[in-house]
Amino acid sequence: MSRAFGDYVRKRREALREEDDAFSVRQVAQRIGVEPSFLSKVERGETAPPSEAKIVALAEELNEDPDVLLALAGKVSSDLQEAIRKRPELFATLIREMKGMPDHAVLRLVREVRDGKW
Amino acid sequence: MIELKQDRLIFRFPEVHDEARVSIEFQRTLRIPDDDREYPLPPGLGRFPLRHVDDFVANVPGSWIEHGGVMLPMYQSEALWVNFSGGYPCAVKVATGKIDAVTGKTLRPGLGRRPQNYVAIPEQPWLDGYCVEQGVIRQFVAMPLGAGYTAEEQITGEAEHGGLQVLVYPMKAEAYERLRSQPMEFGRSIFAGEMLCRSATFEGMGLAPGGRMRQQIFDDPHDLEDWDQAHVSRCFVHLANSLVWRQITDEHPPTVPPTAREYANAGLPWFEYYDDHLSAVRGSGILDKLKSVVQLGSEKGDVPVPENASVQGMPIVELRKGLRKGQVREGRF
Repeated sequence: MSRAFGDYVRKRREALREEDDAFSVRQVAQRIGVEPSFLSKVERGETAPPSEAKIVALAEELNEDPDVLLALAGKVSSDLQEAIRKRPELFATLIREMKGMPDHAVLRLVREVRDGKW
Repeated sequence: MIELKQDRLIFRFPEVHDEARVSIEFQRTLRIPDDDREYPLPPGLGRFPLRHVDDFVANVPGSWIEHGGVMLPMYQSEALWVNFSGGYPCAVKVATGKIDAVTGKTLRPGLGRRPQNYVAIPEQPWLDGYCVEQGVIRQFVAMPLGAGYTAEEQITGEAEHGGLQVLVYPMKAEAYERLRSQPMEFGRSIFAGEMLCRSATFEGMGLAPGGRMRQQIFDDPHDLEDWDQAHVSRCFVHLANSLVWRQITDEHPPTVPPTAREYANAGLPWFEYYDDHLSAVRGSGILDKLKSVVQLGSEKGDVPVPENASVQGMPIVELRKGLRKGQVREGRF
């Protein structure tokens, strides 16, 4: 799991670095508040992915969806965990019912910003 | 469909293309001096919080519920810029108080080229204000609706709508596939769709023209026929005064941003954005005739902004200068 996370982060960061030196390991690590050697080990899968907060910061840096990076790291964001803990039966049922549904069907259930009368 | 996720509006158009998706956020920033000098781009200070108006039915005006959409908190005379993210081409119309920020005309559905009444994404990464001249905008600055400062009031004489409106049109799938077959024509992200968002305030707030800033509104490099005008999403973004944000949401609003002078004195960077491959639209004669907040305040005998000291000699970071088309840009930090 951590290897998949590290590979993904490294490929994304290196792709960005091709066009911008600000995406070196050192500079990205500095911006998210970790040691460059730690980020390097994470990318090589030699250590476990960082904390949720650092992964979210990394997602922001790399213009990635934080939930996707968290999933690659084997984590679920704390707000989702809290939502499930508050209504475990309801959300457990919901997720189990929806897990096999195609994306377009799931998207129909996502809360939309309601448009009204202008 | 429009989804509100982590203070971003995510617009998806799965019926047009699987990759048709665009993200729009509203960035806090410092208000540049309104002194008729031209300033570079100020930084982004983080996203404004966005909330569904439907979640606060008991605390917001009925008109907000009628409009639907989302809301964000702004202090009076606070500035804002709109950040577009995505590589799937889309055309975005932005209006304040239903006045088109590019042309100065009343907001109407549909895209036009004479004059161009939208910005093309991903070529246009940001929009900071009203297009008053070719390569010059006047910054979006929040002012109370009814005081006469907003672009809407100056043009229509009415304080009816307020807020900010954004409309996004996706590129047709076949046009996108044609473009995608041409390497290096686009960045990585992919967004598409037509969206419209508008924001207003609790007691009625709108956006008014502030200081002058160097920012090009790029000519659309695509054909008008490439845009899918049959698929439109829209969203109304209401502007709540930060002083009442907590009453509405029980959340603290963001802190007051630094002044331009405080920011400049700290030696922090400003920005210039270049794209040598694109030309810029001409400014709107309608918008160019508007009076800025400070100009109008002076005529009224008001002091509408608390601080307006000029700044100069600030460090400037040049973005994309010399980059080839399609190269990834650095953002504004």
